[in-house]
Amino acid sequence: MGVTKEEVEAALTSKLKPSHLEVIDTSGGCGASFAIEIVSEQFEGKRLLERHRLVNSALEEQMKEIHALSIKKALTPAQWQPQDEPKEAESASH
Amino acid sequence: MSSIVYSPLYFLYGAKEFFSARRGREKLRYGFFFSRLSVSKPPLSLLLLLLSSSKSKTLPRGGRSCNSSLSISLLPSLSSPSTKPRKGNGVSALVLHRRRPPAIGSTSIGFLSVRCFSALTPELKSTLDKVVTSHKVVLFMKGTKDFPQCGFSNTVVQILKSLNVPFETLNILENELLRQGLKEYSNWPTFPQLYIDGEFFGGCDITIEAYKSGELQELLEKAMCS
Repeated sequence: MGVTKEEVEAALTSKLKPSHLEVIDTSGGCGASFAIEIVSEQFEGKRLLERHRLVNSALEEQMKEIHALSIKKALTPAQWQPQDEPKEAESASH
Repeated sequence: MSSIVYSPLYFLYGAKEFFSARRGREKLRYGFFFSRLSVSKPPLSLLLLLLSSSKSKTLPRGGRSCNSSLSISLLPSLSSPSTKPRKGNGVSALVLHRRRPPAIGSTSIGFLSVRCFSALTPELKSTLDKVVTSHKVVLFMKGTKDFPQCGFSNTVVQILKSLNVPFETLNILENELLRQGLKEYSNWPTFPQLYIDGEFFGGCDITIEAYKSGELQELLEKAMCS
């Protein structure tokens, strides 16, 4: 049961063409809870609410199985750039 | 605590205010008439039940097991033959089950198939229209503001409390129809759902973001003044 991280990634990749995507399974393995960071050109000119709606609708199928979805970041490539550097450092420390 | 205990009354008061804002004097009488008329009828009592449920349960334990009581108590009225909805008056026209086949609701298992149907009936929609405009800030959440039953709902409650704004909460765990209907109403798949000034503001992530950026405070201030 549940949804895999790969399924979530595939759905988001195909629908939103993200330039950066990070899906973290926060359910501890059962596949019911995810945290997402996504950067996509399609967010350009959209409010946060609309961006979240885009993500939600991209995951419409998966949402039936997902209990909790936390969208940590939904940014445009331009917004993402300035944060690139510290982000690299952070992921390197993992 | 007392502010929560009286929340159904506040709601009714708010609904009446809403009527007076929306309708002319004559239509106000009409609306008032209907809302008086419907006090004795099942649909409004259903609404009251639904609303009063948000204050009633300060449960000692978390978990879903505690949440079924209201749903079950609704079942007899849900499976009874539906009354004809009265057009043009949302408060009295709460007939949650009109589109649903009679089989559903006869047992609690019936709720499992709720997702197959459109849970958002026109009646529920107009009721929700009233609910979200009855207060400046309305939070649909899991649990109550004094006893949130979900981490995300709790986060939003804590944010609203820290901002010192009055807000109403509705416990969606206690009514499966409301829960499913709201997902369609807001076009939002998860809870909590925050409404400010009658408009869907967002879920937990958006509220946190807006809180951090100061946007939420700004919007709430504006809403309180309007």
